[in-house]
Amino acid sequence: MTKLQDLIAEAGKCVNCGFCESVCPTLPAAGFLSTKGARGRVDIAKFFYKDDSIDPSASFYSCVDCYACLTVCPAGVNAGKVSEIGRMILAKQGKAPEIAKMIVELTMRYKNPLGVREKCAQWARGIEFDAPETLLYTGNMYQLMAYLRKFGKLRKFFGQYEVQLASFIRKHPSSVSIFRDLYDKAMMDKMNGYLINIVKLLKQNGIKFGYLGSEEPYPGTFIYDLGFEDEFRDYARYVSELFRSKGVKRIITVDPHTYELLKYIYPRYTEFNFEVVYYMDLIGTHKISGKYAVHTPCHFSRYFDFSEYVGRMFDVNVEENPTRCCGGPDELLFPEISENISEKRFNELSKTGLPIVTACPICYANLAKDDSVTDISSILLADGERVSSASVH
Amino acid sequence: MEFIDEIRPILGKYVITKKEDLIPYMNDASYFTGEMPQAVLLPGSTQDVQNIMRIAYKYDVPVVVKGGGSSLTGSSILKTEGVVMSMLRMNHILDLNLNDKCVTAEPGVRLDDLERFLEKYDHFYPPDPASSRAATVGGSISTNAGGLRGVAYGVTKDWVLGLEVVLADGTLVKFGNKTLKRSLGYDMTALMIGSEGTLGVITKAYLKIWPKPERIARILAFFRTIDDAGRAIAEIKEHIIPEMAEFMDKISLDSVPDAIKYPQGTNYALLLDASGSKETVQRRKEDIETILKKYAIETRSTMDETEMNRIYQARKGLYASILKLREKEGEYIVIGDIVVPVSELPSALKEIEIARDQDGIRAALFGHIGDGNIHANIFADLSDSQSMERVNKFMMDMAMISVRHGGSVSAEHGIGIEKKKLLVEEMRFNDNMRTLELMKSVKKIFDPKNILNRGNIFD
Ligand SMILES: Cc1cc2nc3c(=O)[nH]c(=O)nc-3n(C[C@H](O)[C@H](O)[C@H](O)COP(=O)(O)OP(=O)(O)OC[C@H]3O[C@@H](n4cnc5c(N)ncnc54)[C@H](O)[C@@H]3O)c2cc1C
Ligand code: SF4
Ligand code: SF4
Repeated sequence: MTKLQDLIAEAGKCVNCGFCESVCPTLPAAGFLSTKGARGRVDIAKFFYKDDSIDPSASFYSCVDCYACLTVCPAGVNAGKVSEIGRMILAKQGKAPEIAKMIVELTMRYKNPLGVREKCAQWARGIEFDAPETLLYTGNMYQLMAYLRKFGKLRKFFGQYEVQLASFIRKHPSSVSIFRDLYDKAMMDKMNGYLINIVKLLKQNGIKFGYLGSEEPYPGTFIYDLGFEDEFRDYARYVSELFRSKGVKRIITVDPHTYELLKYIYPRYTEFNFEVVYYMDLIGTHKISGKYAVHTPCHFSRYFDFSEYVGRMFDVNVEENPTRCCGGPDELLFPEISENISEKRFNELSKTGLPIVTACPICYANLAKDDSVTDISSILLADGERVSSASVH
Repeated sequence: MEFIDEIRPILGKYVITKKEDLIPYMNDASYFTGEMPQAVLLPGSTQDVQNIMRIAYKYDVPVVVKGGGSSLTGSSILKTEGVVMSMLRMNHILDLNLNDKCVTAEPGVRLDDLERFLEKYDHFYPPDPASSRAATVGGSISTNAGGLRGVAYGVTKDWVLGLEVVLADGTLVKFGNKTLKRSLGYDMTALMIGSEGTLGVITKAYLKIWPKPERIARILAFFRTIDDAGRAIAEIKEHIIPEMAEFMDKISLDSVPDAIKYPQGTNYALLLDASGSKETVQRRKEDIETILKKYAIETRSTMDETEMNRIYQARKGLYASILKLREKEGEYIVIGDIVVPVSELPSALKEIEIARDQDGIRAALFGHIGDGNIHANIFADLSDSQSMERVNKFMMDMAMISVRHGGSVSAEHGIGIEKKKLLVEEMRFNDNMRTLELMKSVKKIFDPKNILNRGNIFD
């Protein structure tokens, strides 16, 4: 099936009832403009396959891929999937936004979206690693959050000239070196601290593992999410080959995006015969005293009931709707929508009066609007009481 | 366009004119596609709405008001050139007064959000269309929406105390208020209910609310014939008004095999709720079951929350389940919606079954047996003109069956563009064309330039 046929198959089932709009986080965040809501995206897709002279990029690219729409659609349509396929078609046609092209080109070249792999490895200085066949793979995700925060500010500064900025960097990729020291120091310290927590948790549980240091590539999340399928295939091959050459057999991921990408998406694009696990699978079940408001990452709730998982460890404030987005995926292209979503989500969590716990660096970076927000690794590390060893899946 | 130039400084970024952004506003949940709007306007306040209408009136620009866009009759799409005004930004619950039993809400509040809000205070707003996730306060008032709780609580018209309305020329008027009753000449609030955006724009609603029943018991009963079900409900209603009384035919039941398993020989099922205090609910449940047992093959009941919710969701989600029975990609579900006096329901339903078979239609029949409302979820291939001809013939057959039985061609979905012809047929059948003329005169007084939802209900 071609991508257009995929789009028709998914969007064609829609009966336009509007249910999906009521849960789509981007609709209110975009001032209730329908094109930036779930039903609007499906409507645009239906129109687009009859008339490709329209430009649906804002509609497809503003979707945060939370799949909340799928949970309520009576016809089983996933407007997130529609947007994803739409982005792939646009990227292939060369119609992706300039910033998206820039990020993809930089990632392909430097194996990191901002060319800062060395910096991303600094958190591990002084830590001893072993057993290369089991790899601790951060994918640079925690570390990059400190850069993206500054990058957002830079974009705001450039305002309407951001397209020119992106074009300039595309023409002069080495100019990306300006980013090397352009990061939020406080955020970087926090993020590095969380990675160290994870290392400690794994070591406490007797797990032996290696780490690739400055050779560690970014997993290619942006490339895939922005719709650049051909580039992603090449990138996935590169990463897979690198792991093979290092003798890796098992990969420990530390964030939901990398976990999802490696476990479910890589195998669709390249030979990927590695065991992929999430670090929390390896550290046993803790029973944490105290009550927390736990924010479920959308990318986990797609594959398993994260609330149930967390419920086994935490005395939690159970959420009504597990697929509430933090706004993170829109930070690159639609910062205003991203900010509105994260503000709303933070307020919801904050209203509980409980400490807020995240389990994803993107969620953390978006929701950490005050000190009440912590990464799950801190809580797990603080509590030593091990109850039993259980696997999530 | 002068209209847009004048409105832009007032609404700023909430004036939408990019083609890509206009496309989604060409549709509602019906199978009709409207005109591409010249602009979409998103007011954030009553003042914004007044400004929009004042300027639209000045330049003769048709305006279609849109809430959740879940209309099934094409009532929230543009039939001529003009603009769409989306009310979704006006989505605040403004006031709650438990003593007055009144909640004040803006038109863009979705019914499920209102329900979630009231739940915290152990109250509810009874109109509960199956589309409550998407439907808004303004849209449901404008279509006089009904729902599953109709047998006990009536429909939207029974729960609207007062409205704030912006007229076609931008004037703000108030119809009614928070009081539970009033005798003040013509009931202008009632006139607005079901007016489908043709008389004015609702910008605020005073809605009556009710305490949640303490306990509910849910009862399922399975019947060989609709006559048996009809007799059972008639006898029950002599003694008890159930909280909910729904019927489903076999095709509907087959679409929810996991939630409702039926015994052999079943052709129809009834779903009933008994409500009351902890002490009374058990007795009411038993009374209902005693009557049901006289007519049913089997009855079952539960007071377990999870089980009750499973059955309720199966009924409320019938549209979704029936969608899954579509045989072809792109096949649509056209929803028939008629009403007859409750006592006529079994005989009307039998005639509808015959018409369904004669017209060669695949359709599931279900509805609100408590208030005589019959729905037919009809499988329709929009790309096949012959299939659509059969669907239209069946819709007309259903309509005529309803009027022959003393009912109406539309129970709760409204007229829109879908039922314009059927409205005329009903009036003609009842020798009642004068009423239609009166309606048109009312429209002229409210909207002399015919800019509000032009071409809706009648031409
Ligand atoms: C799956 C599904 C199930 C349904 N089930 C039911 C059901 O059980 N019972 C039932 O009654 N209906 C049902 N409907 C029909 C529909 O949902 C209802 O009619 C609903 O009340 C419409 O609300 P809305 O906000 O979506 O209105 P819209 O579709 O946006 O508009 C409906 C009409 O109201 C007008 N309008 C909207 N807002 C305003 C305003 N502020 N001022 C003036 N006019 C306004 C519009 O111009 C239009 O004429 C169902 C629809 C679907 C898709
Ligand atoms: S919920 Fe599903 S069927 Fe309804 S509008 Fe959204 S995608 Fe279409
Ligand atoms: S995936 Fe999330 S953001 Fe995208 S359309 Fe669905 S609900 Fe909206």
